[in-house]
Amino acid sequence: MKTRLIHALLAISLLTSTPLLAQDKPLRVGMSGQYFPFTFVEQDELKGFEVDIMNALGEEMGRDIQYETANFSGLFGMLQSGRIDTVANQITITDERKKAYVFSDPYVYDGAQVVTKKGNTDIRRVEDLKGKTVAVNLGSNFEALLVELPYADQITIKTYESNLERDTALGRVDAFVMDRVSASQIIKEKPLPLELAGPTFSQITNAYPFHDTEAGRALRDEVNKAMATLRDNGTLASISEKWFGTDITKP
Amino acid sequence: MDVLNVEYMLGLVPVLLRYLPLTLQLAGIGMVLALILACLFAVIRVLRIPVLNQLTIVFISFFRGTPLLVQLFLFYYGLPQLFSALTVIDGITATIMGLTMHFAAYMAESIRAAIVGVDRSQTEAALSIGMTNGQLMRRIVLPQATRVALPTLMNYFIDMIKATSLAFTLGVTELMGATQKEAAGSFLYFEAFIVAAIMYWIVVELLSKLQNYLETRLNKAYNR
Repeated sequence: MKTRLIHALLAISLLTSTPLLAQDKPLRVGMSGQYFPFTFVEQDELKGFEVDIMNALGEEMGRDIQYETANFSGLFGMLQSGRIDTVANQITITDERKKAYVFSDPYVYDGAQVVTKKGNTDIRRVEDLKGKTVAVNLGSNFEALLVELPYADQITIKTYESNLERDTALGRVDAFVMDRVSASQIIKEKPLPLELAGPTFSQITNAYPFHDTEAGRALRDEVNKAMATLRDNGTLASISEKWFGTDITKP
Repeated sequence: MDVLNVEYMLGLVPVLLRYLPLTLQLAGIGMVLALILACLFAVIRVLRIPVLNQLTIVFISFFRGTPLLVQLFLFYYGLPQLFSALTVIDGITATIMGLTMHFAAYMAESIRAAIVGVDRSQTEAALSIGMTNGQLMRRIVLPQATRVALPTLMNYFIDMIKATSLAFTLGVTELMGATQKEAAGSFLYFEAFIVAAIMYWIVVELLSKLQNYLETRLNKAYNR
């Protein structure tokens, strides 16, 4: 009798506390799995800075993280069609994207970087891209950055799903543009003859986009809260140190 | 030229093998559904069933006339935009839908051709000894049509297995998707993709063997 009463009470409490129930639903996170060292796969294991940060956030929120990998250009389609809750793939906050989504607090501060094949002396800064062919990831913000340059009409932009680093090393394009942190890391750790060409040319801030709905905004608030805790207790900084040897989570 | 990283290639084999079942599943389910649909279409076209015949012609024309990748994007990204309930179509379902309809359109035509290709005298002979239309189809026309259609159908199946590699664009990590991710992480593209290529190749070779066996069996009656 007593246990039955407890069960009944439990059932009622479960029914009335929908936020608690929502908490149990995993957060569906989209990423490309092809953006070293933020999100990449080695021996079938999804790894990287984004994965570590997201796992830490999940633990802080008490929520499972369900990763969905797809080509970068498909991620916003998956977000738009409600198949994922957010994208963890160095998503830069832009006015264009702000119109469609609500963003979490930024967790990466970085700059856009021109990268060339090693020994290329023609290109030393972004202005030198005039008359050149430049690779960017399809759907990435770097394409928009190039298009905004005053001499954009003199640059041939080539968009890639992945593997643009290889094509630059092969000389199929003159340079690629990516965020400084990943570019330096690729040069340091991977067997490709590439080098940074000059300083960064645009400040970029990365955050998580969420659906601009009540549920999306609630998720964003939950993530922001967890992120603030992780920032204060030094978790964000230590994950960044682990991958990059420097703290990129502070402005 | 860099030296091939053979150790990496060997390490990749068991990893990629884990994704082969999904690839075969996509193609296998796609093929069964496509065959059913294609037979239906072929019968509709041969018997010229009004209305259905016209609809089938339009369907075949559309799915043969547009790239598979466009169809996959339509199912996966496009439809949920119009009807939000269709978000339930996940990447795997969308891939199977795409493969089914795309290949059914092609296969319907080759099945129809095989049925029409059975000599008219066969039909006349069957009817003259009092067979019903059903008996005529089951006992005379379809067995002969199967023999003619088999090589092309196997061709489509092989093509379908390879077409599953497009599924990664919908977020399905099958053989190609797993390979692409491993390659992007290691930057060892040649090693990764050649391992995947050999895996596809072996599967297709095994299927060709099966095709030879089936053809020999179906040709028995003709080998005297």
